[in-house]
Amino acid sequence: MSKYWAVFKTQLLNNFAYAGDLAAGSVMIVLFLWIFAQLWKVTYSAVGTERIAGLSRQDTLWYLMLAEVIVLSKPRLARTIAQQVRDGSVAYLLNKPYHFLLYQCSVGLGDSVLRIVTNTLMGGAVVWLLVGPPPNPQGWPLVFVTVVLAWLLDFCITAMIGLAAFITEEVRAFEWIYQKILFILGGLLIPLDFYPSWLQTIAKATPFAYTLYGPARLFVEPSLLRFGEVVLGQVVWLAILAGLLTFFYQRGVTRLAINGG
Amino acid sequence: MSAITVRNLHKTFQAKHKAAGLQGSLRALWKPEWQMVEAVRDLSFDMEDGELLGFIGPNGAGKSTTIKILTGILHPTGGDVSVLGYVPWQQRRDLAYQIGSVFGQRPQLWYHLPAIDTFYLFGKIYELDDKTIRQRIGFLTEAFEIQDLLETPVRKLSLGQRMRCEVAASLLHKPRLILLDEPSIGLDVVAKQRIRDTIKRMNEVENVGVLLTSHDAGDIEALCKRVIIVNHGQIIYQDKVSALKRSYLTSKQVDVRYAQPLPDNFQVAGAEILKAGQYGIKLRFDTRITPVEAVLTQLATAGELVDVTISDPSLEEVIRTIYQQADASPARRAANGEVARERV
Repeated sequence: MSKYWAVFKTQLLNNFAYAGDLAAGSVMIVLFLWIFAQLWKVTYSAVGTERIAGLSRQDTLWYLMLAEVIVLSKPRLARTIAQQVRDGSVAYLLNKPYHFLLYQCSVGLGDSVLRIVTNTLMGGAVVWLLVGPPPNPQGWPLVFVTVVLAWLLDFCITAMIGLAAFITEEVRAFEWIYQKILFILGGLLIPLDFYPSWLQTIAKATPFAYTLYGPARLFVEPSLLRFGEVVLGQVVWLAILAGLLTFFYQRGVTRLAINGG
Repeated sequence: MSAITVRNLHKTFQAKHKAAGLQGSLRALWKPEWQMVEAVRDLSFDMEDGELLGFIGPNGAGKSTTIKILTGILHPTGGDVSVLGYVPWQQRRDLAYQIGSVFGQRPQLWYHLPAIDTFYLFGKIYELDDKTIRQRIGFLTEAFEIQDLLETPVRKLSLGQRMRCEVAASLLHKPRLILLDEPSIGLDVVAKQRIRDTIKRMNEVENVGVLLTSHDAGDIEALCKRVIIVNHGQIIYQDKVSALKRSYLTSKQVDVRYAQPLPDNFQVAGAEILKAGQYGIKLRFDTRITPVEAVLTQLATAGELVDVTISDPSLEEVIRTIYQQADASPARRAANGEVARERV
C-alpha cells in the first residue's frame, strides 16, 4: 500500500501549486451558503413555523453546509481520465506496476483532502455567523466515517463516468447528468425530508442519497441508529458500484484506443 | 536470449468516418460509418537481450501502436508476443517492473512538481527501498547530468532538459529493457546528441535493451546496430544498419573544385550534374552503372584539382528510397485497397 500512500502525498503536494483554485473554491462555498441562508430565511418566515419536516432553519443550513462541502471537494476525476484518454497520457498510467483504479483513488483523495479542509472551515464559519453554532460535536466522528464512505461512493460513480472515455472520449454530458441527479436525488438543493413521501422513498434508496443526504442528515441529527442505517446503505451500494467499476474497467481497458499513435 | 518475440501481430482499430460539412456531421450522427484501420498487420520480429534496435517508419506506420502492445497497454487483434517471457497485455503489471518506457510527446513527470518528487514517487511505485532510490537517483543524475535540474518544477525546464529527466525517470527501477517512442522529437541538435550519448552509455553500463522508434534516421545511425523499418503496419526491411547502408548506398555524390575556370557545358559521362559553377561542379552517379574510377578519371583530366569530396546519401534518403519502393510495389497497392468499410 505504500505506493498508493506515495501517490496520495504527491498529489497533495501538487495541489499546493493550485492555491488560487483552492481559494476560488472557498469563495464559491461562502457565496452558495449565503444565498441558501437568505432563501431559507424567507421560506421559514413564509411558512411561519420553527421547523419544516422536523428540521429547523439552523439544521437546514448546517445540512446544506456539509452537502456543499462534499460536492465542492470532489476530485475532477471523470474529466481528468477523459483528458488523459484524449491526449494519450493514459499510456503512462497503464504501464506502471499499480492498479489503475487504486492509483486514481489515491490521486483523487490527494486532490480532495485540502479542499475538504478549506471548504469546511470557510463554509462552517459563514454558517456559524449566519445561523449559530454547529450541531452536537459528539456526532462528528460518526459523520466523518460516513463522509469517507460517501467519497468512495462518488469515486466509483465518477470513475465509471471517466472510464466511459475509453470508448466515447468525451464525458462532459455524463458528468452533467450525474451532477443534476445529485442536486435532486442526492439532496443537495433541498433536504430529502422536504419532498413528498413517495419521492423521498425513491430518492433515499439511491446511492446518490447515501453520498450527500445520509452524511448531512446524520450531521444535524446524530444517532447511532441513523449512523448504522447510513453506513449499511453505503456499504451495500459501495459493494455494488465497486463491482460494476471493476467490471467496466476490465472491459474498457481491452477496448482502449490511444490517440496520437 | 530473446528479450522480445513478436509473431504475426495484428492490430485493427475502428475509426469513425465522417464526410465534410454540416450534412456530413448530421449523417454521421444518424448513420455512422465505420472504417477498419489496420494499424499493424502480420508483424514478426525478435530482439535480443541488451540489443539496441531501431524501429522506424513514417507517421501512421504502426510504430507507436506496436510499442504500446509491447508494454501491455493495448490489446492486439491477433498474434503472439512475448516480452522478457511475459505476455504483455495479460501480465502488464509484472512486466512493468522489468521495463521502462518514454513516449516522447507526452510527459510522465508531474508538471508542477520538481523532477525529484516524481523520481521518489516512481521509486515507491516500483517498490524500491529508500536507500536504493537515493543510490539510483545519484547514479542517474550524474549519468544524465541533471543535478542542477532536479529541484526545478518540470514546467520550467526546456524540452531537452525535460527529456533527459524523462529518460532518467524511466531507468530508475533498473529495467532490463526500455522502449523509447520518439525520445528526440522536437529537440535541437545538441540536445539530441546528449540524449543519444546517454542512452548509449546506459546500454553499455547496465546492458539495458533499447527499442527505439524515431522519425530521425540520425538517432538510428548513432545508436542502433540493427534496424526494422515499418510502413503501413508491415515490416519492409530488417537488417543491420551497416547492411542497410551497403544495400542502398548505390549512388555517390562528388564535389570538385578546380584551380582554373571550367569550360562551358562541361559534362561527365555517366553522371548527373547537380550544380555547376565557374571553378567547381557537383554531380551524382550510380555506382552500379558508372564505376567511381571512370568518373574520377574524367574529373582529373578536366583541369588542376584543388579539392574533391565523395559522399554517400544520408540514411534519410536511403529510408525514403525504401518507402518509395515499398509503396510502389503491386502487393502494397493491393494491400491499400483492402481497407474495409462497413456500415454499422
